[in-house]
Amino acid sequence: MTAAARLAARLAPRAGASAGARAAVAAVVLVAALLASLVLAIGVGAADLAPGDVLASVLAHLGMGTSPLDPLRDGIVWQLRVPRVLTAAAVGAGLALVGAVMQGLTRNPLADPYLLGLSSGASLGAVSVLLLGVAVLLPVAAFAGSIAALALTLGLAGALGRVTPSRMVLAGIAVSSLAGAATSFVIFWSATGDSYRSVLGWLLGSLAGARWPAVAIAGGALLVVGVPLALSGRILDAFALGDATAASLGLPVQGVRWVLLVASALLTGALVSVSGAIGFVGLVLPHAVRLLIGPRHRPLLPLAALTGAVFLIWADTLARAAFDPRELPVGVVTALVGAPVFALLLARRRSAA
Amino acid sequence: MTRRAPALIAAGLVALVAIPLAGCAATPTPSPVATDEPVLENCGFPVTVAAPPQRIVAIKSTSIEMLLALGVGDRIVGTAFSDGPVPEQWADQAAGIPELAPQFPSEEAVLALDPDLVYSGWESAFAPEAAGDRAELASLGVASYVSPAACRSADQPTKLGFDEVFREIAELGAILGVDASGLIDEQKAQLAAIQPDGRGLTALWYSSGDDTPYVGGDIGAPQMVMDAVGLTNIVSGVGQTWTSLDWEAIVDADPDVIVLVDASWNTAASKIARLESDPATAQLSAVKAGRYLVVPFAASEAGVRSVEAATSLAEQLARLDRA
Repeated sequence: MTAAARLAARLAPRAGASAGARAAVAAVVLVAALLASLVLAIGVGAADLAPGDVLASVLAHLGMGTSPLDPLRDGIVWQLRVPRVLTAAAVGAGLALVGAVMQGLTRNPLADPYLLGLSSGASLGAVSVLLLGVAVLLPVAAFAGSIAALALTLGLAGALGRVTPSRMVLAGIAVSSLAGAATSFVIFWSATGDSYRSVLGWLLGSLAGARWPAVAIAGGALLVVGVPLALSGRILDAFALGDATAASLGLPVQGVRWVLLVASALLTGALVSVSGAIGFVGLVLPHAVRLLIGPRHRPLLPLAALTGAVFLIWADTLARAAFDPRELPVGVVTALVGAPVFALLLARRRSAA
Repeated sequence: MTRRAPALIAAGLVALVAIPLAGCAATPTPSPVATDEPVLENCGFPVTVAAPPQRIVAIKSTSIEMLLALGVGDRIVGTAFSDGPVPEQWADQAAGIPELAPQFPSEEAVLALDPDLVYSGWESAFAPEAAGDRAELASLGVASYVSPAACRSADQPTKLGFDEVFREIAELGAILGVDASGLIDEQKAQLAAIQPDGRGLTALWYSSGDDTPYVGGDIGAPQMVMDAVGLTNIVSGVGQTWTSLDWEAIVDADPDVIVLVDASWNTAASKIARLESDPATAQLSAVKAGRYLVVPFAASEAGVRSVEAATSLAEQLARLDRA
């Protein structure tokens, strides 16, 4: 049993059995909701397809039966809707997870996945491709941009001395501002005609371009980096007590913080590269889940991921369906729908307290 | 960062650093306040023109080309935001006209040319951070005019038709003191000569956009031109000149032909490559059969090249195999 696990075990009774039970119930409900959301969201879209046909088409691609749809409409289901819904689930899960990890690592409730300049770095990479015609694939440029921003942030924080949460946050702000200014400059310098539209969609975050390669990138990153991250809750519970306490429990504080940070950044970079910088999910969903099941990270991380997946599936479905056949950038929906829901949760908690 | 994105865009889009100078040195004439000067409403803004303007700043290709078509290229003192090279028929006249800015010029740069009219194909040119606020320009004795089809703040045509395009040519002719009737008659004859396609084909007008395509809507120039050549727009009921559209809606509609807007920054070839590489759009009948029509960007906006766009599309359409 590790020191962190002993600590978590010691903390558990204090957190109360009811929180644990509530987390278990929430997990069951969320897994069911996720499966139902995947199926239902694939049935929604601008094209008027019968839900039964959609389901049969999906099953046909999974090797069961034949699709009742013509190749064009079969393409709508399998090339457009399925990868898009899966990408939404993966991106939502990843963002909420990384948001919860960042908030725990920095002990800062305002931390989000983009805290260390990642989204502005990714935006700069993407805008360079969209406007300057830099000849690399957009996800590659976005990922490279986010990793460069991360390196700059950590380098800056490191140059200030020991890497502490507040130094990281401040370095992140500096790098964000710089990359943001560079992005604005590229737009100012080179946006021709109506080319700014694709940039706007990207900066607001959109899943409109999500196809199977996006599923592979976001889903792959979630499996390889996200799953271990989601299991790091005990370590973060130790961090929550402060660096000194965590160190006294035998945790190599600096090393662990770096590993978690870099893992979070890699995951965020992969997600941003396929969806643009979707806001709100990573900042607010972890808080919403905390309001329901308490502050312990061990249940929080996986539950936040599940909630993020369900939330972004529906936010994106709304983005596709609300103004059909037009489309809203999903980043608009996440904040527009998410903010009132979050306010409601806060108000409920207040009346319950 | 995300939450600041719209501000970034806004900051990025506006062309040059504009310093609104209230009392600029370049004020050429006293404020036009005389009561007997002709006043016309343009996008809801009262425009006063004392005498036919002689020093014109033209912003966007639609306005530059309109002036050239009316034969007053020699009155242009500067162009801005040109969308592409001037068509051959006006190349001689356009030679030597200085380009003020590749995008929106700043107000000060405009005023430095001492113009008496700023004529723009986009209403957004008249913003403090671009060519200047219209009221401020007026107070400095500089008239402003927006292609009426491009009005957005007021008086946007509910459904653009060629009559409105011809009315715009006539209105501009009146402002400039030149007889536009010859040009209008010529355009009317060209329009009348177009043989609309009788096959009942549906079409997508693909202007730009990758993840979210930006396409011709149902009330503006794209619709007008498609109506003229006998194409049915797959977009209806949006009440927009251009609109964003879901790829899924496009695949579902499966248009018979696709009209591609060709711009230097977003070529027809790049759009074909995009349509062919996406497995969902590669299945479209128009993509599989290569039924593409191409229209230059500058001719895709309402103006003196709208008839030319319709004529060209009708010719391209006639060459297509039966759908």
